[in-house]
Amino acid sequence: MDNLQNKLIKNFKEKGLAEYPLEWLGNYRLDAINAAESLGVPDLSNEDWRFTSLKEFIKKDFSFFDGKAETYNKPKLPEHIKSIDGYFVYMHNGQLVSDSDYPFSLTRLNDSFEDLKVKEILLNEVSSKNKDFFYELSCAFIDDGFFLKLEGSNRLDKPIVIINSFDSDVDSKFVNTRNIFYFEESSSAEIIEYSVSESVNEFFLNKTSIVYVDQNARVEHLLVEDGNKNSFIFSNLKIVQGRDSHFTTNSILSGGQLIRNNVHPILNGEGCFSNILGLYLSSEDQLMDNYMFVEHLKPHCESTQLYKGLLNDESRGVFHGRILVHKEAQKTNAYQTNRNLLLSDKAQVDTKPQLEIYADDVKCSHGATIGQIDKEALHYLQARGINKDKAMLMLIKAFTDEVCEPMESEVLLEAFHNIVNDWFVKSELLEPENQE
Amino acid sequence: MIEIVNLHAEVQGQKILNGLNLKINKGEVHSIMGPNGSGKSTLAAILAGKEDYDITDGDIIYKGESILDLAPDERAQQGIFLAFQYPIEIPGVSNAYFLREALNSINKARGNPVLKPVEFGKLAKQKIKMLKMDETLLKRSLNEGFSGGEKKRNEILQMAILEPLLSILDETDSGLDIDALQIVANGVNSLRNEETAFLVITHYQRLLDYIVPDFVHVLVKGKIVKSGDKSLALELESKGYSWLED
Repeated sequence: MDNLQNKLIKNFKEKGLAEYPLEWLGNYRLDAINAAESLGVPDLSNEDWRFTSLKEFIKKDFSFFDGKAETYNKPKLPEHIKSIDGYFVYMHNGQLVSDSDYPFSLTRLNDSFEDLKVKEILLNEVSSKNKDFFYELSCAFIDDGFFLKLEGSNRLDKPIVIINSFDSDVDSKFVNTRNIFYFEESSSAEIIEYSVSESVNEFFLNKTSIVYVDQNARVEHLLVEDGNKNSFIFSNLKIVQGRDSHFTTNSILSGGQLIRNNVHPILNGEGCFSNILGLYLSSEDQLMDNYMFVEHLKPHCESTQLYKGLLNDESRGVFHGRILVHKEAQKTNAYQTNRNLLLSDKAQVDTKPQLEIYADDVKCSHGATIGQIDKEALHYLQARGINKDKAMLMLIKAFTDEVCEPMESEVLLEAFHNIVNDWFVKSELLEPENQE
Repeated sequence: MIEIVNLHAEVQGQKILNGLNLKINKGEVHSIMGPNGSGKSTLAAILAGKEDYDITDGDIIYKGESILDLAPDERAQQGIFLAFQYPIEIPGVSNAYFLREALNSINKARGNPVLKPVEFGKLAKQKIKMLKMDETLLKRSLNEGFSGGEKKRNEILQMAILEPLLSILDETDSGLDIDALQIVANGVNSLRNEETAFLVITHYQRLLDYIVPDFVHVLVKGKIVKSGDKSLALELESKGYSWLED
């Protein structure tokens, strides 16, 4: 059977990825490809994939991309992104292309495997290992990407802005990229990750970020997945938090034929706080599948999840919210909210909470709603002289704005509003000249 | 200012208004009273342009033209204002932002200059002081978590800022204590002049001690069955509606 899975395994062998001079790395890849092979591409009978069919996806003819960027031109970016005062890091087709000086250390991942910290992060999974085909695949093909380290007590004055661009070189290719962020004790940083696709070619992106937030560090993160309409994006964001650390992540999903957005915060020290926010903006026949896995390992931690979906046309959304509170994690507060606003009669959402609590002194809550624009509210605004389109937009913005309320960084907040506005313009909910 | 002519209306096939006639001139205050289910709130909703009703006959002429085909926002822009019986809570839209958008939509439609946030802020503060409301109400989400009295006062604040020509008050007095009632009445009386008109729908004669009407009408089964001056309200209070219902 020459399906996608077999093809990728063949790619793996041909490239000799297991035969790396570093023995641990070769074994790491080999274990992962074996795990991927035994797991297989998930189908609907897999509880974690029951709303997202990959039937069409596995028919695609993707092969592993290991080309090197020969020439690189910076991608065209929206003015509001370009004008951010930040440390810009450029990635192209999954590879780090920047070589500027930064107030943090940044190296290509394939040049960093000798670094003991990288080895430690990769080999110590901390949590129960994700039993997921795509995660294993990302481990098997690990090579491209970067290792970013911010030293202890450093407070970055400007956000790190990571620009991921893709172009026609990756047509029908499987791009595998892994970024490792390591924020040492008491450091603090803001990150914006922005993806842009410069062609409409089909590609399969398997992207894993591991963010280590060491004790007392504070990180705020905004992720924007805006691929082209033929891209299949599998994003894994794994966060390992140390004692008293604060981490906030906000994902805006807007572009891509299929986006699987895995977010896996691991609260691995007492007194840490994790804020998991997200907004999926879908239209046409897009499918956006959000898989949250919030894992509490230690006592006195708090996590809040707020994910919202705004769905237009015939698009579909999935929210799977899993909270796992281990036995040791007493005095945990874990909250989860998923709200969906359907702008069309044909849009569809599946939402599913999953709470597994093994400690006996915890506060956990979850809630989900699916609704349409409130006609009474619309009438109320109109009755005060506000025209229907504007009133609709006010209600939609009120819905989306809630997702950014817990964010503290002014720069990230502004970026959030601009990106959501871009989507409103693209979806013809907002006239370009009326942007505010 | 407005003339309602032989108005018939139904909702989901059920007849609610059955040939209602009412004429309100500039400078007048009319009050409509009537038993529950007589069609008072339906009349208010129809005047504001709510979509759920079918107008099967008759017309509404405002400033010389039929407004039946106008959307609610167009009616508001022309100066019609409804103080809702049950104002809607809209989380995430701040009261100040909402009021500024509303005022500027109306200003634009009337060819008046649009107010900047600072200019609007001054105006809003002045009005909010007049209505003895708490300034923090402006920053909060529209009506969200407001008490019943705060919601009603917020309707009057909107009216005071938007300065409509025809204001319809749908049971704005219901459930208010005497202090809040006086504030509402002051708000109305401050807008009362030769160019404006009011239609005050109420259950209780008490309100009419503070907002003295020029005419009182009794609505029964979707029709005005009796009209008079303010003394009619007192008569209704002592006798009830049953003598008018047959």
